[in-house]
Amino acid sequence: MSTPDRVAPAVSVEHLTVRFDTRVALHDVSLEVRPGEFVALAGPNGSGKTSLLRVLLGFLPPDEGSASLFGTPVSDLSVRERARRVAWVPQEELVRDDIPIFEYVLYGRYSRLEPFGGESDEDRDIAMQVLTDVGLADRAEDGILSISGGERQRATLARALAQDSPILLLDEPTSHLDIGHQLDLLDRVRRLSHSRNVTVIAAMHDLNLAARYADRIFVLSRGRAYVDGPPTAVLSEDLLGRVWGVAADLRKDPRSGTPYLVPHHLIGQPRPSGIPPEWGPVHVVGGGGAASRYLRALTDQGFRLTTGALHLLDSDTEAAEALGIPAAVEVPFAPLGDEVRAAHRRLLAAARAIVVTPFLVGPSNVANLEDLAPFVRTTPTFLLTRPPGVAWDFTGGRATDLEGQLRREGGRTVPGLELLLGALGSVLETAPNRGSDSASTAAG
Amino acid sequence: MTEGVPGSAAGALSVPGTRSRRRALWGLLLGVALAFAILFSPIIGSVAFDPWLVLRIVFSGGGALFAPCTAGTVSCHIAKVIVWQERVPEVLLAVIAGAALGISGGTLQGIFRNPLADPYLLGISTGGTLGASLVFVYGIGETDANLVLPLFAFLGCTATGGVILLAARGRYGSVETLLLTGVALNALLSSILTIVLLYNPIASLQVDFWLLGGLGSATWQVDGVAFGVILAVGAILAIHGRELNLMQLGNDVAQSAGVDVRRVRERLLLLTALATGTAVAFTGIIGFVGLAAPHVVRRLSSSNYRTVLPGAAIAGAALLLCARDVALWWLPLTPLPIGIFTSAGGAPFFLYLLYRRRRATTMGGL
Amino acid sequence: MSLNGGPGTPTRPQAKPARTIPVALFVIALIVVAGAAVAVTSVLYTPKPASTPGDLTVTDDLGRTVQVPRDPARVVVLGPSIVDSMYRLGLRSHIVGVDCYAAAFGGLTADYSSDQIALWNLSQSMCVQTEPTFDFEAMINETPALVLATTIVSVSAVEMISSTYNIPVVMLQPATLGGIEVDVSLLGTIFGLDSNATAINQQLQVELGEATTVATNLTNSGATFPTVLVTYSTDSNGYWTFGPGTFGESLIELADATNIASNSTLPYPELPGEVVLVDNPTFVIYGLGFGLNLASYQSAPFWSELNATQNGHLYGMDSNYLTEPDPTMILEGLPELIALFHPGVTL
Repeated sequence: MSTPDRVAPAVSVEHLTVRFDTRVALHDVSLEVRPGEFVALAGPNGSGKTSLLRVLLGFLPPDEGSASLFGTPVSDLSVRERARRVAWVPQEELVRDDIPIFEYVLYGRYSRLEPFGGESDEDRDIAMQVLTDVGLADRAEDGILSISGGERQRATLARALAQDSPILLLDEPTSHLDIGHQLDLLDRVRRLSHSRNVTVIAAMHDLNLAARYADRIFVLSRGRAYVDGPPTAVLSEDLLGRVWGVAADLRKDPRSGTPYLVPHHLIGQPRPSGIPPEWGPVHVVGGGGAASRYLRALTDQGFRLTTGALHLLDSDTEAAEALGIPAAVEVPFAPLGDEVRAAHRRLLAAARAIVVTPFLVGPSNVANLEDLAPFVRTTPTFLLTRPPGVAWDFTGGRATDLEGQLRREGGRTVPGLELLLGALGSVLETAPNRGSDSASTAAG
Repeated sequence: MTEGVPGSAAGALSVPGTRSRRRALWGLLLGVALAFAILFSPIIGSVAFDPWLVLRIVFSGGGALFAPCTAGTVSCHIAKVIVWQERVPEVLLAVIAGAALGISGGTLQGIFRNPLADPYLLGISTGGTLGASLVFVYGIGETDANLVLPLFAFLGCTATGGVILLAARGRYGSVETLLLTGVALNALLSSILTIVLLYNPIASLQVDFWLLGGLGSATWQVDGVAFGVILAVGAILAIHGRELNLMQLGNDVAQSAGVDVRRVRERLLLLTALATGTAVAFTGIIGFVGLAAPHVVRRLSSSNYRTVLPGAAIAGAALLLCARDVALWWLPLTPLPIGIFTSAGGAPFFLYLLYRRRRATTMGGL
Repeated sequence: MSLNGGPGTPTRPQAKPARTIPVALFVIALIVVAGAAVAVTSVLYTPKPASTPGDLTVTDDLGRTVQVPRDPARVVVLGPSIVDSMYRLGLRSHIVGVDCYAAAFGGLTADYSSDQIALWNLSQSMCVQTEPTFDFEAMINETPALVLATTIVSVSAVEMISSTYNIPVVMLQPATLGGIEVDVSLLGTIFGLDSNATAINQQLQVELGEATTVATNLTNSGATFPTVLVTYSTDSNGYWTFGPGTFGESLIELADATNIASNSTLPYPELPGEVVLVDNPTFVIYGLGFGLNLASYQSAPFWSELNATQNGHLYGMDSNYLTEPDPTMILEGLPELIALFHPGVTL
């Protein structure tokens, strides 16, 4: 077994600071990329991703610190030498003339040509090879303007690959592509990176795509390095919140196993509809999938929610779990047990308002309606109308009776989500503070 | 980095070699056609000579190789003088100046990625005019007008080019800055020119005439100098096709691919200033050739600058020679400035080319 | 789906700030300035002089009918040809102003040769600038009662002088040699010097008659008329010369020579160098004055190849003799030409 030598980094950035007049684009950024790695540069607009790439390309000189390619500082390299080390795929290239794709790719061989030499057969073979690699070999003689944007981006990638440089920089390579081409391009980049041992550094907007394809994610925030590591370690709700100011949910893609984030809203904005955070929760009664959309809608509106009593494996339960809503949950298929009912009653007691969704009622959950009864007088309760002609009472009439009683005792019927929101709004207006139940028996 | 390419795989798909060979063949054919045009153009002139006599004079090198006509007769002598001392040098100057303008126009169109660029884009022509007008106004070197006027025009052009070059070197030497500098220079020099000529109506008329361009200053000496300069400059320009190709994709992209854009741009600007200055020095301001020649090549052949640059030289030479021939054939007794013919004749031809093929190219798309 | 009511109501676009007031002020300012300009310039208008009995009504060379005072003491003359006629008529003392270029660019010497200045005793103080712009002030300063002008003065300037400043302008621009005599007579009429005028015209007739005699003699003796190129300017394309219908050509023919440009279509054509070389005129006359000398012509195409150059038949001549239609042209220019072309011929 050979002693592993410390492999020289392909890209080494040390305490790099770059300034534009008064604005600091990069501050004390350090990054090391080993040969063959695929690093995604992530960060909000203006975080310095493009500036970092430009430093590596030699377009921006460092004000402090250094940037090196395979051990040599970028500024020490001539333009030609730089091109031989690092190739660039820009976000979008403005091509005006309808040059044949093959010729276009051949342009990439420039840095490899002898000063007064022309393109050799080897150069042409390489061009053909990279065209094959990106899947455009059959379009080699077509004009570059005759292909779609996604294909053109692939052609640009081919041109960069033809440069035969061990480092490949991509600047938002998928911004202008449709979703199919996004996946296709990144797929190819990753595969080619592995097969050719090319170091890839890609500035990417889409964190989820980055997580899916990159070995490593380097997050920049306001010109400073924020976090650096593999996607599973880097991706977190906290990250999206602190760096992008977005509240999100972290999920895991069951197929690929990569994490992904689902954004919800911007943090720091007043909660929609101006509900004060200390306002008590709204309790949603449901089951069998009836409550899911209301849970989501009300969460979007900024309400704190509780829900119950539900059964495990119920889709409403999953929704509640996903949204982080406290719920009273029973084991699957069993009728609601005493413990669960007690928990449910505690939730009902703490609720500021109650929403009864049009859930199917059977013996296993008819207890929900029973447990609601004492609260309908004290807590504003809203019953959503059931869709006509749909059977919902599987208790032989008992559920219908219970619901009728709820309505007689003060439960208000609301035909749909809009009016429900309106009704909840009026409850909020008339009793903005979390008062005791009796005091808040407001206008009926 | 590159894995071995299985010969059959690449070979089955690789094609594009034959295309460039076909283009080279076209270029050769055009070159031969131009050579023929050069040989036959001296037949056209203000005075009608027997075409065979003219050809004999041309092929005999003006009587150097053999006697083209009865030696000793006045008419033979006059014919030799006219054909060999005036027409042939004029034809050659047309070719040389046309080539210079064509390749300069093509280069500038490449640098600025602007299909409307011409050799006079950066105010070089105004500088040359100013130089020439100083000669006319102050009557400098009247005895040596043949040397002084071209010299001053050349100096005017190159001085202007030098200022542009300084701008190119500066911190803010982007393409936009260059264009603006050119515009500003043009305005400044124009106003100086106006002041200089305002109270000199005679000089003003002379300058106006000179501005319209002409081949009258052609002598073997002039041609020798012009040919030497344009050959050297043109050769260097022509080998920058690859760099210009890459620069079309954007200066950043070109730089990332290994083109030292700044240095290349400086070099090319200097060379075009020299080439244009030489052409202007001896032929005045002949418009349209520098603009149209590269487009002719793009339309008939390809947009690849490795083709466009040498092609534009040939096309420019052909255009200017054509203009000379048409002008003399149509109005033999009225020496009209050649610039009129390049524009009047070239413009419709140019329009025809523009609309002939509606492809998604530079001129076609929005 | 917000609790705060429906989708946001669109904000009404703000009314544009009132622009009417500044615009109105601007227009008023314009009117005020314009009015002031009119008022100021009207002060410069000279009132129309009352017609005095004895005013003549004459028709000038452009067919204009003009009412002129008799024998005016102060006359502004715009054109060397007219000065020549006036001088010969003895009217030099009446001339108070002559045409000039702007002082900074030649002034008097741009229009008049040194010989002319010396002979006619002209000075810079007499300058009335006609090029590049007409200096009306300078003209009015001389308080002329009459302006005599050739067509170097533009139509608009003539209008200005005659209508706005109410000074009569008589245009004297002969189209033919005969017109020279007409102008001399006209001047005689205006200044009451008919006898002087007649005398001069007789001289002209004599001169012209002698030229005809020479022609007859030459024809009878079988001599040929030599070919001539008269050029007043050259460039790299060829030689600028006189074509049919010009005074230059008329003089050449009167001098019993053939102008090689006589079958040109233009009055002032440029002959290509090739044509001149092939025509190979026996004599080449080049125009002098205004900064031109032999050296100015030596770079013309094929100059050294021309027979005339090689045989020494090159002659410089004052351009004025060939271009200014006045008695001097016939009384001095013509004899000089005849002497050049036909040496030894006595008149």
